[in-house]
Amino acid sequence: MITVSGLTKHYGDRIAVHEMSFDVAAGRVTGFVGPNGAGKSTTMRMMVGLTHPDRGDVRYHGVPYTRLLRPARIVGSVLGAHCMHPGRTARNHLRATAALSAISADRIDEVLREVGLESAADQRAGSFSLGMRQRLALAGALLGEPEVLLLDEPSNGLDPDGIRWLRNSLSAFAARGGTVFVSSHLIGELEMFADDLIVVGGGKLLAAESVSSTLARGRSTVVVRTPQAAELASLLHRGDIEFDVSHDGLSIRGTTAATVSQLAFDHQIRVVEIAESSPSLEEVLLEMTSSVTEFASA
Amino acid sequence: MTITTHPTASASVAHESPTVRVLQRSRRDDTASIPTALHCEWIKVSTLRSNVTILALTPVIGVALSWILATFVKIDPDTDLPFNVGETFIFSTWLTTVLAAIVGTLMFTSEAQHGTMAAAVAAQPARWVTVASKTTVAAGFGLAMGILGMIGGLSGAILGGLAKGDTSGIASTALWGLLLTALAPVLGLGVGMILRHSAAAVSILLVWAFVLENIARTLIPVSTARYLPFSAATGILGMSSATDTPESIAAALTPFQNGVLFGGYAFVLLAIGTILFYRRDTD
Repeated sequence: MITVSGLTKHYGDRIAVHEMSFDVAAGRVTGFVGPNGAGKSTTMRMMVGLTHPDRGDVRYHGVPYTRLLRPARIVGSVLGAHCMHPGRTARNHLRATAALSAISADRIDEVLREVGLESAADQRAGSFSLGMRQRLALAGALLGEPEVLLLDEPSNGLDPDGIRWLRNSLSAFAARGGTVFVSSHLIGELEMFADDLIVVGGGKLLAAESVSSTLARGRSTVVVRTPQAAELASLLHRGDIEFDVSHDGLSIRGTTAATVSQLAFDHQIRVVEIAESSPSLEEVLLEMTSSVTEFASA
Repeated sequence: MTITTHPTASASVAHESPTVRVLQRSRRDDTASIPTALHCEWIKVSTLRSNVTILALTPVIGVALSWILATFVKIDPDTDLPFNVGETFIFSTWLTTVLAAIVGTLMFTSEAQHGTMAAAVAAQPARWVTVASKTTVAAGFGLAMGILGMIGGLSGAILGGLAKGDTSGIASTALWGLLLTALAPVLGLGVGMILRHSAAAVSILLVWAFVLENIARTLIPVSTARYLPFSAATGILGMSSATDTPESIAAALTPFQNGVLFGGYAFVLLAIGTILFYRRDTD
């Protein structure tokens, strides 16, 4: 559905996006993740023709975005919750948006109802909370009944109920065959509904794969409590398996509880307790992007 | 796995769905989309209180200015003759021109400032369509302001009890005035497209119109000063200025020349703004 090919953008000497190439499939929710300054917003702006790439292009069904006829009917985008005049009412904001793409005015009430802003239709956007502005921005993206949704941090400012509504809406959109491409810093949230991930860092593509494949990159840890820790440690050392020694046992990395328990059984080592923990998607992504994080916390 | 990565652009292959046919736009489609773009611009202009307020203020200013001149000033200090309806009705058009230029400026800068330009460019990638529709609506809005301002000016002069005076030139003066108020927002639009910042664009426009150009007129030769943009605007209206001298009056251009000159400024600024609009990334 979406093909991003060799997208490159420099700002002076700074590389914002470098040779970014990936495909986004229809009927799935694809998360776009990476640390601050990774090039997510620049990439998304290039995907809708707002930023001119130095090289590369983005195609929708083989057609570059800037060549699409009535692009709002193919791609609905939200690239910020502030893309509305504060002095204009929600309804008038959508009237202008609909008029530009020759979309029937009947859609306005439909999308206002869809995003839950029907009662605020005649309020000025300047009086809206961040969450309400996000909903209005999403309403604008949905006006043309597009096949593709490109959303940059759409859950910013939404309350828990709003986040759940957004998650369900995007999942339903994808289930109907739509393409959802969504950037978010809320990795835990994204893990709940994204099917695939595009991981970027330092302006480069780090991975493009399913969420389960990303999760599989994380090495699980097996924690073992045993009175024979020294004997088990010796066996692990001989097997070249990484581990740390704690006060009452071992933390073993890169293996499974089944493997460790079999090893202990074979060598008659008494195990008091054994537990396996897998890293979260957030932990895996932090690990993946740690070397390219531009603005790391102390 | 549904996502594949491509190390280089040449390795990428677009996904062509056999069931989806996406249409590409042509120049003809762009031209055909002008009515929808005009409709969109009209909604944007007419749904902001600031524009409605400016439009409502225009005749009020016209009435007030003419009435004050008729009631309190009475005598034209430049000619020492009493004011009359035939000349007074146009006086407020100068202020209308400045207000119209501000409206034109804000038509672009407020969109850049509030991010709505990004949505407009995403929905209409043919940027010339956006420029054409903004220019048309801006000129139309300026024309409406000019008509209302002149009606106000005429009403104020009559209400103030001024004599009719020589009315033979009213029609042509009014038409030149309307040309000016239609061109002023186009000039403002060009300034806005170049600067993209509301406060900066409006400040520069006002300081230029009310301060810098008046200073310049006193510093540079009359033969050069007559080519300044707001000197041309004053010339279109056939109005005298406090800084006029016998030399400047003798060197004055005709209303037609002034119209071409002011229009030239407006369209050169618009052309520069359009080139920048194409070249710059949209915020």
